[in-house]
Amino acid sequence: MPYGALEEIIVLDLSDRLAASFCAKTLGLYGCEVIKVEPLSGDPLRKWTNSNPDNHSGDSPLFLHLNAGKKSITINLDDAKGQNILAGLMKVCDVVVETHKPGHLDKIGLAYNQIKKFNPSVIFTSITPYGQTGPYKDFHYDELTLFAMTGAMYREGLPDREPLRYSGEIAQYFAGNAAAAATTAALFKKTLTGHGDWLDISIQECMAGHPHQIGRRAPFIYAGEPDPRSQPRTSASGAREPYAVGTFRCKDGYFSFLPLGPRMWPNIAKMIAREDLMVDPKYDDTIKRSENKEELEAIFQAWLDNRTREEIFQAVQAAGVPGSPILEPEEVHKNKQFHERGFFQNVDHPNGQTLRMTGDPFRFSNAPTSSIKAAPKLSQNTNEVLRKLLELSDTQIEMLATENII
Amino acid sequence: MNSEASQPLSSIRALELSEIWAGPFCGCLLGDMGAEVIKIESIQRIGRGPINPPANTGGYPDDDPGKEPWNRQSNFNAINRNKKSLTLDLKTQQGLNSFKDLVSQSDVVFCNYARTVMENFGLSYEQVRKIKPDIIYMLMPGYGNDGPYANYRSMGMAIDAITGHSFLRGYPDLDHSSNSLVHHPDAVAATNGVMALTSALVYRAKTGKGQFIDMSQAESFMTHLGEIYLENQMTSSIRKRRGNRHPDFAPQGVYKCSGDDNWIAISIKTDQEWSELKTIITDSSLQGTDLDSLEARLKNHDYLDKVINEWASTRDRYDVLTLLQAAGITSGVVIDCGADSYADPHLNERDFFQIVDHPAAGLYPMTGPIFKFESDQGRITHNPAPCLGQDNKQILEELLGYSRDTINKFKTDEIIGTVPLAGSDMGGSRRVANQRKEDSKD
Repeated sequence: MPYGALEEIIVLDLSDRLAASFCAKTLGLYGCEVIKVEPLSGDPLRKWTNSNPDNHSGDSPLFLHLNAGKKSITINLDDAKGQNILAGLMKVCDVVVETHKPGHLDKIGLAYNQIKKFNPSVIFTSITPYGQTGPYKDFHYDELTLFAMTGAMYREGLPDREPLRYSGEIAQYFAGNAAAAATTAALFKKTLTGHGDWLDISIQECMAGHPHQIGRRAPFIYAGEPDPRSQPRTSASGAREPYAVGTFRCKDGYFSFLPLGPRMWPNIAKMIAREDLMVDPKYDDTIKRSENKEELEAIFQAWLDNRTREEIFQAVQAAGVPGSPILEPEEVHKNKQFHERGFFQNVDHPNGQTLRMTGDPFRFSNAPTSSIKAAPKLSQNTNEVLRKLLELSDTQIEMLATENII
Repeated sequence: MNSEASQPLSSIRALELSEIWAGPFCGCLLGDMGAEVIKIESIQRIGRGPINPPANTGGYPDDDPGKEPWNRQSNFNAINRNKKSLTLDLKTQQGLNSFKDLVSQSDVVFCNYARTVMENFGLSYEQVRKIKPDIIYMLMPGYGNDGPYANYRSMGMAIDAITGHSFLRGYPDLDHSSNSLVHHPDAVAATNGVMALTSALVYRAKTGKGQFIDMSQAESFMTHLGEIYLENQMTSSIRKRRGNRHPDFAPQGVYKCSGDDNWIAISIKTDQEWSELKTIITDSSLQGTDLDSLEARLKNHDYLDKVINEWASTRDRYDVLTLLQAAGITSGVVIDCGADSYADPHLNERDFFQIVDHPAAGLYPMTGPIFKFESDQGRITHNPAPCLGQDNKQILEELLGYSRDTINKFKTDEIIGTVPLAGSDMGGSRRVANQRKEDSKD
């Protein structure tokens, strides 16, 4: 149920990569009218489908997710007339989200400083892998190579193996989300003062400035503490209990635990109905529990082997022990919490398919709502948008189409 | 104020009741953009690590916790820049009244504690809006504010697990018990939290209306996995763990370079990149046309990994990066969060780190804001994380107009303070004192 807190704000989405597209989508979820500007051949993400050879429904799952609720127009930006049309739209919109190579928009006269003269309150949000300046600004990237450059990868994986990325396109999503937040802050200033702004968002910096990374960088700079990959079941710096840390097999899958500190010990002993362990001198303190970790883990594992994830989830909540079941993506929408909150919503798509799509990252008590709409077909809204925003006549639009401009 | 050069949130005062990452990082980003963020803490219960850390506890300047470890803790100091700290004992009437006085002069209240904490203080949204009708008030528990898990406690790693992300992470040849625990969803809740608060601010500016915001950390992160949930509905191929590989690109992986634990990430996304790679890695088995199709490269991926690893093993990772990027090949070095990141020429040229003088921790280069606004004209706001209760006097005296006598009485009554009470690092001083009482009865 999208919320209309940002209604009447027009966003031009010039993205052809994930982060900027997700930024615009998030703005759209909260009421902005998002107009996706595509080349005549369409956003390359529409065809992000090699991984799904049996998907004949046209647009890729990634495209459908990123563009739900947007409008689509096509413009040939290699042509001067096409560039003029885009300039016209930039002059009347509130926000431009773009991901061109740094300097490219300058060359075609469509950069922030050029458009600002005509539209002083416009906000440009530029989202690029490494930002607008600096020696890496033109680097070729994808999720894997960018993730490597953020500091996040170095710590992921086992000490004797290659570092790992997270799954999915998580760094790009995070940057897109952060960019949407910063853009909305700029929109707040624009609402109060009428001043626009230009945001230079670097995906690398978003991830390198993320709590995971700054929380590791600080002990390094304070005391030179190294930050190697570690065994997943070892506890860090004695702050946690030495056993029951990490991911364990159970009756119907896997369960992750992170008991913080020695005061969790009685909670865990009670949870597994082994209060007797609390008076056993072998397990007196963190150091002894660490020495006898293998025995403790065997006891713990035996308890887990007889229980399902749901049973364990209820037990950890009752005992106050941090932990959660690992769900398969398939299981997520069936989970009773997300189901009861109606997070996933059925959305009808033009090809006749009804898809369960993710809903709102947060909900308002006091703003208008609407329903989630499917991603647009290529150029679905070209005529409507050009008529409305540029006041072009049907004849003019037809001519531009004949000339392959739109 | 309100000039072209003012920061976007410079007119906003936000009250943060949060610890660990999700709430504090949300506050940090608001502070970066100019909001006055007041972190509400207490000397009865602190979220700044142990008061008397054991000798082996890391994370303090020069490995010395010093006299005030709570003001020197690395993780806290890294994630709480650009904030003030006010201590208030919200379990007393005076503390509660002061909070309410502060609410009447604030725009935003947000909390990442368990859902019932605010309500138990008598500070639910309904109660707070009586004081300030247009307040923007956000609770951000793990699973949202209603439903069967509404009162469940969570951490970042729990959200990673329940959303399906943990299932997809890891080495494909090992089982999930080899997984590390990842708290990434905390950061997502923080950025979405900023998005929620700022869009509510826009709405308030237009309509005068405040807002209760129901943020589910899980649902917030699930929007970052949207295509995976769709894929499972649209295709018969259920998404599994892929490690560092992607079915559309090959070869792709992270390869060991010369030196200790040095790596280069490479993605061959196009046939063009492949033909460039062949000219750089001249191994004869790659030449010819046998491996020129993606299909062939995917089929021989393990072999290709072996050849690339051999080639990279004798080369410096930055030399490899330069060589590959010059050829237009998608690549990146694996940098750590220590020396590598501080030495990174790009992050340095973009002023990613600032020398920060923290009154209790000292002078260190710390990671700064992640957003660059043109209106900042290169100025970077990076005030050190606040010491516990550092702004008590300024806020109570200047902002709320309390008399010196009142403030002194607050100190005597332990409503405010700058030194945490015994047990405040173990779940609360009252709780620990009660526990001791019970223990002594036995």
